[in-house]
Amino acid sequence: MKAFSFRFRDAVLFTVILTLCFPISVLMQSVFRIPEQVTTTFAFAVFLISLVTDGYFWGLAAALISVILVNYAFTFPYFELNFQIPSNFFSAVVMSVIAVLTSALTTKVKRQELLKAETEKEKMRANLLRAISHDLRTPLTTIYGSSSVLRENGASLTEQQKDNMLRGIQEDARWLVSMVENLLSITRIESGNVELIKTPTALDELIDSALLKFRKHNPRRDVILELPEELVLIPVDPLLMVQVLVNLLENAVQHGHGLTKIILRVRIQENQAIFEVQDDGCGIAPERLPHIFTGQYIPNEQSADTLKRNAGIGLSVCATIIRAHGGTITAENLPQGGALFRFRLNTEESTDEQ
Amino acid sequence: MNNKYKILLVEDDENIRIMVRAMLESAGYQVIETQSCDAAITLACSHIPDLIILDLGLPDMDGMTLLENVRETDLTPIIILSARTDETEKVRAFDLGANDYVTKPFSAAEFLARVRSVLRFSRHGADAGRLSQGKYQVQDLTIEYDSRRVFVGDTEVKLTQTEFNILAFLSEYSGKVMTYPAIIKAIWGYSTEGGVKRLQVNMANIRKKLGIQPGKNNYIVNELGVGYRMNTDER
Repeated sequence: MKAFSFRFRDAVLFTVILTLCFPISVLMQSVFRIPEQVTTTFAFAVFLISLVTDGYFWGLAAALISVILVNYAFTFPYFELNFQIPSNFFSAVVMSVIAVLTSALTTKVKRQELLKAETEKEKMRANLLRAISHDLRTPLTTIYGSSSVLRENGASLTEQQKDNMLRGIQEDARWLVSMVENLLSITRIESGNVELIKTPTALDELIDSALLKFRKHNPRRDVILELPEELVLIPVDPLLMVQVLVNLLENAVQHGHGLTKIILRVRIQENQAIFEVQDDGCGIAPERLPHIFTGQYIPNEQSADTLKRNAGIGLSVCATIIRAHGGTITAENLPQGGALFRFRLNTEESTDEQ
Repeated sequence: MNNKYKILLVEDDENIRIMVRAMLESAGYQVIETQSCDAAITLACSHIPDLIILDLGLPDMDGMTLLENVRETDLTPIIILSARTDETEKVRAFDLGANDYVTKPFSAAEFLARVRSVLRFSRHGADAGRLSQGKYQVQDLTIEYDSRRVFVGDTEVKLTQTEFNILAFLSEYSGKVMTYPAIIKAIWGYSTEGGVKRLQVNMANIRKKLGIQPGKNNYIVNELGVGYRMNTDER
């Protein structure tokens, strides 16, 4: 379908450009009396067509037609094909060369652009992987170390020590679970270059699921809700959107030191749903703010151990998911203290979705 | 001594098997375990378990096939254990007759709650889930089937006919996730294009009338993209 429409676009450009050349050439010949420039006009048309269309076909076709047209209509002998005259033959060769070279060049540039995007994506993935493997090591150390101590030296430990270790194992395992869920979300987006499967999802059901998941791990945290009264259906991938909300809430808990309350607010403005997660914690360090969503690993060798939960994978996952939905996400510090994360989603689906 | 519930555990990973077995036995259930589908089918026939806990990724056969096989002959409740989280997998499992779907990893509390809920459902399930005296009760919600009335605490809640039908339908299958198409078919008898939206609108009204707050986990659980489940008393 896509290939066809592209070819259709190319055909239109081809026809339009060549058709335009005709009156220009007639003008040159009969009004301005500069018939020798007709060939230049057509050469330029061939160049243009090669530039804007895909592949070699249209450029070469333009060259062929131009050669014939120029030969037949605009050069002596008029209205007769004649390749005996060297200049006619020469123009044919030049036009073909222009077509081939330009097409080759544009194809190359296009390919390079694709490659560049691919490398960029690869780089992002590598960064993410590096950050993750780094992040995995710390909890795994606790789990592996504590469990082996418990098995091998369990008898000599006090109940209190055992309980502390078990709690450590549980907490770190839980953290690993959320990490894996984030990774799954990313693969869900990247697997299959198909678009996301968006289903109209009731806002309050979405919030409900997100809060239940959040509460499972943070049973004593209360989240203040400010939601619209009426039923709102938003076309999203529900599991991914739950992930976004949980990540933002957990991010507030994990990084908002001194926080006392979290507000989850949703407003509808025209055909956009605006989600806000606001806390009254310590806010975001200004130097982190610019790349808070890129998941950029901040190289800081000395503090590698304290970096444990700092890689910000949760937030970059949020950004990836929101962008995949065609939305935008921003973060800011509030004047009264605390951080505010805001993302916007369209509430109406483009018409081609069923 | 032997009136413990008998649970058949089908799981090929040894560590998970040991763990689930420990969870179940500590909660007072009797556990029979196996690693393969073939053995599971034999054991299901010879022991007649009260509940089957089934892992989807088994070495000899896909868990879904086993699920289908069991459902051909009987209604033994089945809880699926799986690392697959796709809605499509869930929907497929529920459509094939699974009673619940627990995604790995899970906590003991969550898992045992699902087990209790499913066992409870199957006990009352014999007569389509209705409790004695034509009533259903969960927390402070009461549904009276015969008079078609609904109460939260002592206050009656006015529902429309459709809203009541949905609520009654979910309560009849409490503890089990009902998929959107299943509910739509049961309530309207046919499926139309805007069916899911109509259901969502009705559910939103029901939630509003019953005073359900997001995140408070009462009465009805949303399985996003899949369906709804009415809670039983035990969570």
